Amino acid sequence: MRPLRHYARLLAVQMRTSLTLAVQYRFDFFLEGALALFWLAITLIPLLVVYSRRESVAGWSFPEALVVVGWFSVLKAVLDGGVTPSLNFVVEGVRKGTLDFILLKPADAQFLVSTARFEPWRILDFLGSIAVLAYAFHRLGRVPSVGDFMVGLALFGVALILLYSLWILVVSVSFRVVKVDNLSYLFISIFDAGRWPIDVFKGALRLIFTVVFPLALMTTYPAQALLGKLTSAHALLAGTGGLAFAAIARLVWKRALRAYTSASS
Amino acid sequence: MIRARKLCKTYRVHRRPPGLLAALRSVIRRRYEEVRALVDVSFDIAPGERVGFLGPNGAGKTTALKILSGLLYPTSGSVTVGDFVPQERRTEFLHMITLVMGQKQQLLWDLPPAETFAMNRALFDLPRREADATQQELVDLLEIGPLIGKPTRQLSLGERMKCELVAALLHRPKVLFLDEPTIGLDVSMQARVRDFIRRYNESTGASVLLTSHYMEDVAALCPRVIVIDKGHLIYDGDLRTLARRIRPEKRITMHFSSVPAPGDLDRLGNCVARSELQATLAVPAAQVTEAVRAALSRLPISDISVEDPPLEEIMQEFLDGQSANGGARSA
Repeated sequence: MRPLRHYARLLAVQMRTSLTLAVQYRFDFFLEGALALFWLAITLIPLLVVYSRRESVAGWSFPEALVVVGWFSVLKAVLDGGVTPSLNFVVEGVRKGTLDFILLKPADAQFLVSTARFEPWRILDFLGSIAVLAYAFHRLGRVPSVGDFMVGLALFGVALILLYSLWILVVSVSFRVVKVDNLSYLFISIFDAGRWPIDVFKGALRLIFTVVFPLALMTTYPAQALLGKLTSAHALLAGTGGLAFAAIARLVWKRALRAYTSASS
Repeated sequence: MIRARKLCKTYRVHRRPPGLLAALRSVIRRRYEEVRALVDVSFDIAPGERVGFLGPNGAGKTTALKILSGLLYPTSGSVTVGDFVPQERRTEFLHMITLVMGQKQQLLWDLPPAETFAMNRALFDLPRREADATQQELVDLLEIGPLIGKPTRQLSLGERMKCELVAALLHRPKVLFLDEPTIGLDVSMQARVRDFIRRYNESTGASVLLTSHYMEDVAALCPRVIVIDKGHLIYDGDLRTLARRIRPEKRITMHFSSVPAPGDLDRLGNCVARSELQATLAVPAAQVTEAVRAALSRLPISDISVEDPPLEEIMQEFLDGQSANGGARSA
């Protein structure tokens, strides 16, 4: 019980620090909020362009594809607000050697680096994405059933685990190669493909986006669940895939710590 | 408390000559070189002991501290601190130690130091009342009460270092690893930080391991020194003994009321510094009394003092001597 309380307290302190940091510079706070909404609007443009000329793409109608985009944006908001800032913080820590201080604290280092920073204004992004989802279902003229909604929520959890695990893998690489700015750009660019339903991709790309970089598990499957189109085999595959990625990420992280060389004084 | 046996640490470093062409070539084919940061280093440190790590830049001092604090894995050899292997990073071990680095800071740059203290209190799971009492005590000792509410980025280097010390000692560690804690500080601030470290050591019985470029720090704080050069331990023992062995001489500094006759000075000993109304002689320790008596009777002395030669010089001579003939010594 005590460790659990310790970690809950730690999470609260880390979040409080991030919030204090965020409001320290007021102007920046409002600017970031406005930018978040702007980028959400930009995300919708490619979809609007494609569907302006046809009714459906790879079996997905416009409102259905909008569910995927909405889902993708929700996930992206969580990624940008809750995962990326922390992991950028680690990458910088590795390069400057300030990760030393994290490793010297009596708490799990992976937990500490994963909760180091949050960007609270991403909540706007998150709410905007929920609005997109709501609009999509309004266009479809129906709401997900309770069962579909619960599966969707569970898959949201799986998607978060997957995203987070992939990021941890990227960060683990930084222990060896030190500078990974470009690697994180690559990650974000690939993640961007998640705005399209997986059926849009063919052949090798489809396999890669299902197994290696499981975008399908992150956005298409949960959207399908909400639409009541997901088979239970696929749901199971997503759950297993999420756990497998988490286990691999943890293992790689542990090994990577051994390779940490710190920066010289 | 600390036990290191045959510690070795080898780094693989990417090397290339300067210039664009060499840089391009190194993109395709990288050449690596092995750098031996520590070679068979062994020592023991008792509870409550204050030990200074000395050596030129790149000697391996920081590497040793980082291995002892569990940040780096030794390539070979073993180390224990208390009953723990540092690299296992056990909670009890991390509660027992602290590492302060003069060149890096744990304080949150945009927030006041008090926020970092609160964070560390949560990290070390310290009871509120106990942590507050410790914080107050440290803040009083270092006289930084008004500073801990100001954003860190607005503090001076010395003020930041004092706050770093509070952040690092909030959990009352039993072993202090201090890597150049006084770097960049002015002389009076250095003295205060030194004084604080000594007081902490005396009141808590904590072991202190210190590296510093300022010999003054080491001389004032550490009765025992470990000298490392090019990864090898070349001396482990008392600093004064080392000084006497390397330079068995004293410095006599004299101020004159009028210019002394040429020749009178030279007869007393080897003159190492000279201006019109001042001179410094190097005299073998055994002949100091004789030399002072002679000086007082023959020269127009207005002031006279006898001191040990500067430690920086001694250390330089020691290191030069070592690189000339190899070999390791110990007390």
